[in-house]
Amino acid sequence: MKLKRGSVNDEIPTASMADIAFLLIIYFMVTTTFAATRGIDFSLPQEDNSSLVDKEESVLIEIQPGGVLLVDNKPLPLDGVLEYLKPKLERNPMKPVIIRANEMTEYGYMVSVFDELRQAPEKIGLEVKNVSIPTQREINMFWY
Amino acid sequence: MRLSVRSVQNQGIPTASMADIAFLLIIFFMVTINFEVDKTQVFLPKTQIREEIPKKAAYISITESGQIRVSGGEEISVPVHPEDVLSFAADVVARDPQKQFVLKADKSVPYRYVDGVIDSLKQAKASVIYLLSEQETVDSGAEGG
Repeated sequence: MKLKRGSVNDEIPTASMADIAFLLIIYFMVTTTFAATRGIDFSLPQEDNSSLVDKEESVLIEIQPGGVLLVDNKPLPLDGVLEYLKPKLERNPMKPVIIRANEMTEYGYMVSVFDELRQAPEKIGLEVKNVSIPTQREINMFWY
Repeated sequence: MRLSVRSVQNQGIPTASMADIAFLLIIFFMVTINFEVDKTQVFLPKTQIREEIPKKAAYISITESGQIRVSGGEEISVPVHPEDVLSFAADVVARDPQKQFVLKADKSVPYRYVDGVIDSLKQAKASVIYLLSEQETVDSGAEGG
């Protein structure tokens, strides 16, 4: 009896490669999330180089609930803060600026004020170099 | 006069390079994919100044209701009690003194929650905090807050 051997294809089948690739693309496109990966950086004072800020010599920006700003106890709009600071920074580039938000103030308002101060070089041509954001514990300990 | 026979044109779309293009796209997505360690849903404040946040930074998120979640930067964030933020931050700083922290807080959260977290980071001797934000546009700037 004569047996007939079947010929075996010795190539790797790649016909479905493109289908698999497109399925992977769809998976990555669906699962990829465009995360917000930017923000304002804020350097915290280190123990060895920190010093107490003299309240009388500094500019105090208080943020009340609702975003009302009191700059050195005078109400000011957000876009008026840098104009207020400009002559003081011209006299003293290291003028300390303290941001103090009320505990009920929405966090977004504090960020807006900090963002405004960081825009000083573009808006008034001067940098606000010495910004402090004291916490309530520090205020209780050091405020006088 | 004898006219030459027109050459027969192939009317099929060439798909030979389809797989190559597909694999290039896969490589692009694999390289650029960003695995979020914190998926807390918050409405971020909008700012004009936005610095790039380093990869592997530690995350502290605060929801509008004041719930706090933390992540050391490599693992998925877990909820913690506000009083435990200090021990978390101290542990992270002990392992890497130059570790950056990202504060991902809802823009509507009362400041006292943020104040508590910043105070914990100061006590833990953290060096830099990034206040996570969205890009402010001219329209959103006019809306305020």
